Amino acid sequence: MNTFTRLIGTAAVALTLGSGAATAADLSFMSFTYAEEANKAVVQGVLDNFQKAEKLTVEPLGFAWGDMQKNIFLRARSKTLPDIAQLSERWLPTFASLDNLVDLNAVYGKDKLEAAFAPDALAMGNINGKQFALPLLSGSIGMVANKEVLAKAGISDAPKTVDDFKKALVAVREKVPNSVPYSMATKNNGSILIDFMVWNWVHGGRIIDDAGKVVIDSKQSRDALGFMVSLLKDRLAAPEIDRPDSRRLLAQGASAFYLDAPQTRTFLRDFSGKGQAFDANVLPMPTPVLKAGDKSVSVQWGHLLVQFANGGKAKAEDPADKFLTYIVSDKVQTDLPLKMSALPVTKSARAAVADDAYLKNWSTATGDARRNEVGIWSNAADLTNIIGEEVQGALLGQKSPDDAIKSMQARLTTSMEKAKKSE
Amino acid sequence: MAVIENNVGAYPVSPHANRGGLKAGQNRIGLLLLLPAAIAFAAVILYPFLSALGLSLFEYTVEMMEPRFIGFENFYKIASDPDVWAAFWTTAIYVALTTAGTLVAGLGWALIMNQPFAGRAVLRSMSLLPWVLPSTVSAFIWGWIFNSRYGVLNAFLMELGVIDYPQAWLSTPEGAMLAVVLTKVWLSIPLFMSFFLAGLQNLDKEQIDAARVDGAGNWAVLRDHILPHLRPVLMIVVVLGVIGNLQQFDTIYALTGGGPVRATTVLSVEVYRRAFEQWDIGFASAVGVLWVAALLPPAFLYLRMLVKGN
Repeated sequence: MNTFTRLIGTAAVALTLGSGAATAADLSFMSFTYAEEANKAVVQGVLDNFQKAEKLTVEPLGFAWGDMQKNIFLRARSKTLPDIAQLSERWLPTFASLDNLVDLNAVYGKDKLEAAFAPDALAMGNINGKQFALPLLSGSIGMVANKEVLAKAGISDAPKTVDDFKKALVAVREKVPNSVPYSMATKNNGSILIDFMVWNWVHGGRIIDDAGKVVIDSKQSRDALGFMVSLLKDRLAAPEIDRPDSRRLLAQGASAFYLDAPQTRTFLRDFSGKGQAFDANVLPMPTPVLKAGDKSVSVQWGHLLVQFANGGKAKAEDPADKFLTYIVSDKVQTDLPLKMSALPVTKSARAAVADDAYLKNWSTATGDARRNEVGIWSNAADLTNIIGEEVQGALLGQKSPDDAIKSMQARLTTSMEKAKKSE
Repeated sequence: MAVIENNVGAYPVSPHANRGGLKAGQNRIGLLLLLPAAIAFAAVILYPFLSALGLSLFEYTVEMMEPRFIGFENFYKIASDPDVWAAFWTTAIYVALTTAGTLVAGLGWALIMNQPFAGRAVLRSMSLLPWVLPSTVSAFIWGWIFNSRYGVLNAFLMELGVIDYPQAWLSTPEGAMLAVVLTKVWLSIPLFMSFFLAGLQNLDKEQIDAARVDGAGNWAVLRDHILPHLRPVLMIVVVLGVIGNLQQFDTIYALTGGGPVRATTVLSVEVYRRAFEQWDIGFASAVGVLWVAALLPPAFLYLRMLVKGN
């Protein structure tokens, strides 16, 4: 056999083995949690246990949270979608028009799903009566504080009103050198949106009303943006901060407050290098209100699982659906969400973990979470960019809060002309 | 001579011989060797470009399973979209500053590297470091230099007492533009330096010595002797620099993401944002087509210089 023939032979064998490997898994699972160093082992454990239980193999596809939407979008265009994908709850309306998305009511039955899942969790995956996603874990985005930093600044109680909050920030700025008292998101449009939405609600404003009319051009919204700008001017917040920066700053004792989901505890354990010993410093607290007696606000949050199949048709016996069934079973739901410091999504699992002190505190602190008023629209990505750009423009002094709000009103109104709502 | 011609004519010609003879055979081998590159070009550049060209005439958003033909509507929308025009303007500023900066820094560094001194060979090799590093790695290095909390620049300036508080360099439009320009200049210096160094090594030293004997200073030598000698190199370098900087995406996206707000959103970033943040493939393709149109004049100039043998 000459060298050329040997080379061809080797290539053929490699190709055969390669294609065999590529098609070996029974289903593929695209996940951003799998790409997170702090959580990868937890997800891998679930996949391994599923494999043992069902004798089905899963090909995990890990992509960073920020790259997930892009990857799903490109895979939809190139017809290489995974069987199951993990989404943030606010992304679902964007992908609702993909014709490969499976209505899981048709697979499992609406009644069965309603009987098994907590209504608030199930609602996150429902778009206009179709159950396009099952919840994986849930919770809310609320305020978190670092007790150790508060103690250094001489603050004994979590601030309750916006005025108290500002006083606490000043105390942290004065007593904790080189700190960012409130790690407000000032970078990344997706992160800025959450902070702005929360402060806008605190000040009594709305971005888009229930009928789809843009109502941002209001005194309340101007006050909210003015408040955020003042924090930056007074060095109570800092530029160039995204959510991962906030987590690191809080974990390293260089920040007192920031907004995040309950899974912050897992990130803080990891980023502080102290593991569970850091839990004692994590204080979930109600978001400060404008005046005493107002109701504290938080944003509904969760991770969803969607299934893609040809023509959007699937059966409960399909490997992908067996995986969905497994991942929302009590065995997984009483374990995985807790390890990720989040609430389970099924009624039975919630009852089983009702005594978890951290989650209990979190729920008490954040109260009834409101639905993300931007994430429910099909053009959520565009809306997020517009709000992020305008808020950042005001925060960095490129325009006044008034001008930013006016510009936001005009741009959002144009964007909403073609929008579809998910209910 | 006549004898030789007669002998040649007497050689028998194989019935299998090709009509074109040796030259045609060489041409065929040449084409064959070209084939892999041509296939790669067609697959990686030509096909995507033609696809984008076609998609620029369609509406194709994330909500649509199939694109819908809309003719030149995307281009009409671009005409009235201030963000796209702002991206053109930002691109022009970025390309002008980066090309000029690299030209000056590359030439200056080449002049230094052309002088005889101890350790020159080591320094020349080290000068290639920015070229060797992946551009995104360089962008992250510069990102840390400019970082408002941990950045070296802030630490240095605070140590000198120039500033009281850390400055957020990447959060002002000017600071962010300066950062992306500096990063690209730093990355491009080795390439430009190599061009200039090659040109300088062909310079007649006696001509410079004669000028110095006649009393010419450094500036006069540079203006009247070195620059005229480097003129062809300068032209190539400028054209290549403009093309390279017009195409720039990775360092800008890694360093600023096109922000703050849209301060460093050049055309490449605009295309990316439209396609992968707003999911509007048709509009992104139309902006991409205009971006290619902006690249054509310098590319044409460069090709003309190559053909003319400059």
